[in-house]
Amino acid sequence: MSVWGALAGGFAGTLVLTTILRTGSELRLTRIDLPFLLGTAFTADRTRAKALGYALHFVVGLAFALLYYAIFVAIEESGWWLGAVFGLVHALFSATALVNILLPLVHPRMGSPLTGANATALLEPPGFLMRNYGARTPLVNILAHVAYGALVGGFTQLAS
Amino acid sequence: MGDAGRTAENLPLREYAAIGDGRCVALVARGGSIDWLTLPDLDSPTVFAALLDVARGGRLSLRPACRFRTERRYLPETNVLETTFFTDGGCLRVTDALTLPEGGGLVPFRELQRRVDGISGTVPMCWRLEPRFGYAGWPCKIERRGGVPVASVGADALGLRLFGAGEAQVEDEAVGGQFEVSGSSSAVLALVYAHQEPLVLPSEDELAARFEATCASWRRWVENRTYDGPWRSAVMRSALALKLLVYAPSGAIAAAATASLPEEIGGARNWDYRFSWIRDSAFTIDAFLLLGCPAEADAYFWWLMHASQLTQPRLQVLYRLDGGTRLRERQLPLAGYRGSRPVNIGNGAAEQLQLDTYGELLQAAWLYARGGNQIDGDIARRLARLADFVCTAWRRADAGIWEVRSEPQQFTQSKMLCAVALDRAVELAEQGVLPSRNVELWRAESGAIRTFVDTHCWSELRQSYGRFAGSDELDASVLLGLLHGYADPSDARIRSTVDAIARVLADGPYVRRYAGDDGLTGEEGAFVACSFWLAEALARTGRVEEATDLMEQLLGLANDVGLYAEELDPASGAFLGNMPQGLSHLALISAAAAIAEVAG
Repeated sequence: MSVWGALAGGFAGTLVLTTILRTGSELRLTRIDLPFLLGTAFTADRTRAKALGYALHFVVGLAFALLYYAIFVAIEESGWWLGAVFGLVHALFSATALVNILLPLVHPRMGSPLTGANATALLEPPGFLMRNYGARTPLVNILAHVAYGALVGGFTQLAS
Repeated sequence: MGDAGRTAENLPLREYAAIGDGRCVALVARGGSIDWLTLPDLDSPTVFAALLDVARGGRLSLRPACRFRTERRYLPETNVLETTFFTDGGCLRVTDALTLPEGGGLVPFRELQRRVDGISGTVPMCWRLEPRFGYAGWPCKIERRGGVPVASVGADALGLRLFGAGEAQVEDEAVGGQFEVSGSSSAVLALVYAHQEPLVLPSEDELAARFEATCASWRRWVENRTYDGPWRSAVMRSALALKLLVYAPSGAIAAAATASLPEEIGGARNWDYRFSWIRDSAFTIDAFLLLGCPAEADAYFWWLMHASQLTQPRLQVLYRLDGGTRLRERQLPLAGYRGSRPVNIGNGAAEQLQLDTYGELLQAAWLYARGGNQIDGDIARRLARLADFVCTAWRRADAGIWEVRSEPQQFTQSKMLCAVALDRAVELAEQGVLPSRNVELWRAESGAIRTFVDTHCWSELRQSYGRFAGSDELDASVLLGLLHGYADPSDARIRSTVDAIARVLADGPYVRRYAGDDGLTGEEGAFVACSFWLAEALARTGRVEEATDLMEQLLGLANDVGLYAEELDPASGAFLGNMPQGLSHLALISAAAAIAEVAG
């Protein structure tokens, strides 16, 4: 197993994940836009937010690849299928806790269930399984993360 | 008034004032009963719905245990309600607020405070909490936890903190208590709510601090508004009412705070208005910008564009406050307000085709851009696709702005607003905001719509634009053609239409929406927004004196705390329909500003 393989997988995986989410959006299956959500944490300018968000999204993608790599090393096992399972767990965690609960609490422009009339949110909160962004968002999200995980796992194994 | 507190039948809707915190809204009756509250959000199931079922709906009552009369007001520049109870033995004040998450410390998920302060004499008081979760459909149990009465069901819990309000007597499905209040004493009842988390039980000091912070926060919000025109008091009360309808977590604005309050007592026109209608978007953006609420305008516009992304280039008539598109209409087994059934939640109108929404949305975008706000490339492309869609769709029959459930028609107002959509798209493209590839098509189709309207929608009999092509019936929504810029105020036909509507649909200050079939049984009252639209139309066509006179009459039709429902009964002045109604208050703000502008 190679950390460079994991990083290469992280880059390719983020590329594919972003493409799947964007395609889901174009097909009107979901309104999820992770780079946009990340970028608007730093600026209210939509254009700048998207540019910054894509850069941040790749950084986050690489960071998660390193986390996957650490687990692969710990269990001395990696591969496409194992990566895909990690991706599934990653998708469920992000939709139920990471993006659903944690992001609204730290994002300065996102509403949360606790936002009251004394504040003005610019972004609606994602809701459980991010379904506020469309009823089919969980499916698109799972598909995207499974693809990401498979690529990280596969690249890590290939680079052994 | 001699209110006995718990009544055998529903109180008049005029008796209700609204309090809220940007997430949910409660309706408080003059007699001290909170008869409507949804938790945790404005569109959640009810905990109190006595408004829709006196016996089973649930409520929190707090009142003197003797005969009384009341006076009430909102604390100046707030959404905090103060009710003064006068009895033979003395008087006292109850102040109600859904508190805002202000200040530090651990704040309950939602908190409703009822603060009692003695003024003079000694008055026996009684209170009773009857929580009925899930539109009175979910069985809940009430028990003491650490001395606090707690009602819980599933992931929801409601606790009642009491300070100086007597000992709580817990029954199977209710909690009650009694206490005395004298000149110098005070008491607090605080309803705290938790959803998917443990209950937070604040101390008396924390409650007092949060109450003060809530009042200060509302005052700060009003101080920051820039409207300085006529009827400022009514306009600011409308602004505060609108702020109650803004769902803070997303920026969406609900059409009203309630569901299924009837447009005719005993009738079937009972709809759920706790959703956001695209129809209201132009007035909403305009009002926010007029009032100096750029943050609310931004949040609403972002939400609007985000929510409509899934369905674009088609627009759904209304969306959930969280941006969702599923609004299945269903009936609840409740008695209904004064027997008005069915009690509907959800809204079937979401599935209808309403072509005017495209005009409202592009008008909203145009107003937003005119206010100096940026429209980015993605949104610009989407708006351009909406305009392209209008070019292909405007010839279709639709359900119209009033969401009739009869056969679709070629509604005049829908056509006018389609032309407005294309005109605004052309203007935005000329300013470099929208892609200009299809400008010539938009211009040509706008011209074709105008030709259609002038050829098919003009009634020689009425000397007015009719309700739909070939119709001699009138429709007050055609006034929006003037208000949104379809026609110039000097246009002879539009001036004649204003005259005809004033003559045929108006009865004093009361203006009906339309005359004719709508696919529903029964009648309805006069539509408050239409009255304000007529006042604005009169002003825009230069009849400022008539407009001012109508405006003064309409302001006199609000209830004692300045709120409006959707409709008024012309015979009695009684409120009908859901309340407080956003469109009524938006129309008031727009009319006041227009009259001020024309009067110079």
